[in-house]
Amino acid sequence: MTNVEKYNKAFMESFNIEEDKLKGLKYQDIVDWDSVGHMQLMAELEDEFEVELDIDDIVDFSSYEEGKNILLKYEVNIDS
Amino acid sequence: MSNSELLSFDIVGIQECQQNRYPQLFVDSIFDVDPGKSARGLKNFTYNEWFFPAHFEGDPNVPGHIQIECLVQTFIMTFLSMEPYKGMKTNFVRINNANFKRKVIPGDRLEINATLDSFKRGIAKGSAESFVGNEIACSADFIITLPDVLENFKPSKK
Repeated sequence: MTNVEKYNKAFMESFNIEEDKLKGLKYQDIVDWDSVGHMQLMAELEDEFEVELDIDDIVDFSSYEEGKNILLKYEVNIDS
Repeated sequence: MSNSELLSFDIVGIQECQQNRYPQLFVDSIFDVDPGKSARGLKNFTYNEWFFPAHFEGDPNVPGHIQIECLVQTFIMTFLSMEPYKGMKTNFVRINNANFKRKVIPGDRLEINATLDSFKRGIAKGSAESFVGNEIACSADFIITLPDVLENFKPSKK
């Protein structure tokens, strides 16, 4: 599975959302991406990429696109 | 943790850890608490409980939602017994696999065993089951949040 497939899977499993709805998705755009859903997503990503996200990065993780930039800090390149 | 190091809480101690109060407090004592891991609870039901006359006349038994509260009020002590979280408010996120196996009636002594499977960033996942004597009464899996902790991790911008 590629990194983008893993990344999308984390979103789809956390929010029960179709893959074609992910582009441009932001925090609170959908009901399931609330504060609890956000923690679910963080846990999925940490498991998937075997990283531990800092609190500042969790707070800054406000959109599908921004998340890719944040994961780069952990040497996880989603678009490669 | 050895048995001698396990924590116990009487009704005053329980109220220092959790915000449930009469008539919504449904555990009498909590014991064998291994903070961050497990806890056991006890609830003695007498006919003086406020709900027995209403549930039901001629057949008093403990409503299912109160049995679930007994489970979860024991479960939350697995993490509310830890100093940073003592006294914090908790919210339900999910109750799964709730099973009711035995009617609980006045005079029954309910014993509850709770296990915390994970606790991270204000989200607790785990399970609890209750017994009357050796008979299982009910069981359920829980996801519970601490909203005050969760608040620290919310994205700051939309």
